[in-house]
Amino acid sequence: MVLPLLILVVVLCAALAGWALWFVVRDRAVVLKQLFGAAAVEAVIVVQAVVAGVLQATTDHPVDGPLFWGYLVTAAIVLPIAAVWSFAERTRWSSVVLLVAAVTVAFLEWRLWQIWGAAA
Amino acid sequence: MSGPTTTPRSTGSGFGRLLVAVYGVLALAAVARSAYQLTQRLAEAPLPYTLSAFAAVVYVVATVALARGAGAWRTVAWAAVVVEAVGVLVVGTDSLLQPDAYPDETVWSVYGQGYGFVPLVLPFVGIWWLWRTRSGGEPVTESEAS
Repeated sequence: MVLPLLILVVVLCAALAGWALWFVVRDRAVVLKQLFGAAAVEAVIVVQAVVAGVLQATTDHPVDGPLFWGYLVTAAIVLPIAAVWSFAERTRWSSVVLLVAAVTVAFLEWRLWQIWGAAA
Repeated sequence: MSGPTTTPRSTGSGFGRLLVAVYGVLALAAVARSAYQLTQRLAEAPLPYTLSAFAAVVYVVATVALARGAGAWRTVAWAAVVVEAVGVLVVGTDSLLQPDAYPDETVWSVYGQGYGFVPLVLPFVGIWWLWRTRSGGEPVTESEAS
């Protein structure tokens, strides 16, 4: 697991969560620009998956594979589902949904780091 | 929405949008955990892992039913949230009384402690929301609708 990539995902998630929180306070629904933000997070997660796959294939880093990939796949599907689900709602609750999703992904990243490190 | 409604409101919009999202996250967590436990380590702790699988199915059913939110889905949602409430209370208590039976955690162990007690709170929020959105219930207030 490459730490800078993981930190990048967490920072982007924090930014997205902050943005969503601002919209909750302002009583606004999710806007398209925020979904582009979510797509950026998603792109980094995909890069992360590729890097993790390459590292697993080329090094003998011991890691509980099914557990690690379970978390990674979960982290990858949260935002797309949340984006669709929140965008259909045109009230501030859509922003709360995006906020929850961003925090969830950040939490999953932290777990990924633990799982990758636990086996080292 | 204006005035008291005569038909049940959908449980999937307004505040329900958030409720379904939180249910979805919990369902995803429970399914992922359960899939891992059942495929990798079932022999180690059959009771907790079977319970985890059952809880995962109930959370998925609750998520879908609350998202659909009308007609027969309301009945399904009621059943799911009640099963969750009973499950978390019974398993939570049992896990404290006879910890030996639970060599590994389930979603419901110690009242959902491993998940920030969300599994304990969520079914009751679900019951409250289903009650709020029932037929002839009070109209949705401004704060819930917006």
